[in-house]
Amino acid sequence: MPYHRATGALALVAVLVFLFSGARAFDESRFPNWKGQWVALGGTGNAAWDTTLPPGGERALLTPEYQAVFAANIKAEAAGGPPLDPTSRCIPAGMPRLMMAVLPMEIAITPSITYFMFPAFDSLRHIYTDGRSFPAQIEPSFIGTSIGQWQDTDGDGRFDTLRIETRAIRGPHTYDASGIPFHKDGEAVVTEKVYADKTDPNTLHDEITTRDHALMRPWTVTRSYRRDAGQARPEWLETVCRQDASRVLIGDQNYKVSPEGLLMPAIKGQKRPDLRYFK
Amino acid sequence: MLERSAFGALALAAALALSVIDAKAFDDTSYPDWSGSWLAIGGATRGSFDSSKPKGLAQQAPLKPEFQKILEASIADIAAGGQGNDPGYHCGSHGMPRVMLALEPIFFVILPETTYIIFERLSQVRRIFTDGRAWPAQLPGASVGYSIGQWIDTDGDGRYDTLEVETRGINGTRVYDSNGAPLHPDNSTVVRERISLDQANPGVLHNEITTIDDALTRPWTVTRSYRRLPAVWDEYVCTAGNEHLAIGHDDYLLSADGLLMPVKKGQKPPDLRYFDAPQP
Repeated sequence: MPYHRATGALALVAVLVFLFSGARAFDESRFPNWKGQWVALGGTGNAAWDTTLPPGGERALLTPEYQAVFAANIKAEAAGGPPLDPTSRCIPAGMPRLMMAVLPMEIAITPSITYFMFPAFDSLRHIYTDGRSFPAQIEPSFIGTSIGQWQDTDGDGRFDTLRIETRAIRGPHTYDASGIPFHKDGEAVVTEKVYADKTDPNTLHDEITTRDHALMRPWTVTRSYRRDAGQARPEWLETVCRQDASRVLIGDQNYKVSPEGLLMPAIKGQKRPDLRYFK
Repeated sequence: MLERSAFGALALAAALALSVIDAKAFDDTSYPDWSGSWLAIGGATRGSFDSSKPKGLAQQAPLKPEFQKILEASIADIAAGGQGNDPGYHCGSHGMPRVMLALEPIFFVILPETTYIIFERLSQVRRIFTDGRAWPAQLPGASVGYSIGQWIDTDGDGRYDTLEVETRGINGTRVYDSNGAPLHPDNSTVVRERISLDQANPGVLHNEITTIDDALTRPWTVTRSYRRLPAVWDEYVCTAGNEHLAIGHDDYLLSADGLLMPVKKGQKPPDLRYFDAPQP
């Protein structure tokens, strides 16, 4: 069975949570009402991560080394190499790109974990709010490991803001479909402040700050989401990522597949795949 | 203008309704403690849909003759080195009822209106609506279907202990387990479940699953059991590192060094007629 498994450690704390989680009542009224279906504002699958920047402006945020990496990746794709956007191969968007919420998201709040659920497979965030700390060793995963803290910023006795820090995010991942890269060291840290709009409880904001060694400075964007208050029972879609049957990646070469199902070069003069394992 | 006002009033009413919904405290002591993660019990046969019987034809799935032939062909292909009739190896959803085999951990998140079953495989989420809703006229269609559930306090102790679920609107190519016993492609499957903790051991959960499907001669009931484990979430991403590759209608493997390999003994290499002739 083919799969990648990231061992998510945190076992001791998880056992403790397991032992005690069934013993207390959950006072739901202490948490914000973020039920329903949240639809991202101002973005689609091809939208830029930071819509406040002019086209191409994100390059200036990269270190010179990673501007060169980005340029090399673009050149490699044009030469038949792997596509710039890993999601085109059904690799999960990962953090922080997942928060673009290309399809509507649901937020389920429990005392110890807040879940961010997305229709796409491999896209489920667990935000641990049980007071745990980051362990010394974390196996990287596409969604990373997220620890959150609820805050009652206006002192009304009810939490209104969720602050999150996410570490141990594995690649390949990019900010958006353009392929802006993260540093290969996998040390990106994403912090978020999630809160409902002060004047409109049906608008949610997420201030997302990414710290990564491929960046000249932390990069903060605010993504917003809208809830249709009239949709008490929203329809939840399920998406199955199917790889584009007209493209196939073999090793470091991206080939085309003809309508009759035969392998074809994606660029002129592309070398044949190595068939040494066939007799 | 009048219509816009009416719409605004409706929106306001809906917003108020949403505000009211969360005003009540959720007493989760009314619900069973299904915390932790749950993994299939069943020893060597845990991977079979009916874990009380060996895999393959010994499952005695009550298939109609034309679907029995599909199963037999699938088993023969697997014996030859293929993947048979199993869509899962291309990282697709196992769908209902196969997801409830729980060969990778599953988790229950119980909230008043919805019980979520979260699957480590593909990070899939199954929503079981327990808010008293009726079936919608149009089901959205999903591999895990659309599920409506009802909590029951069978022993009258004031705490729910059993979740009864009915699932409809299941679509997509599905099989019961990796041997490839098929469900009917008409997407009319109905699955009923009754989930409860073992009476003597709260570390064991039972799920009595009855599948009603047009490929079957009669409803097929099996009981799956799961063992409680600590709630450790391990991301399971099938697509990252999947060594299976489809080119047209043919399946191949990718070697660790990124080269194409046959999946079956004697398999022909792909046709490279569109490439320039190799240099001498």
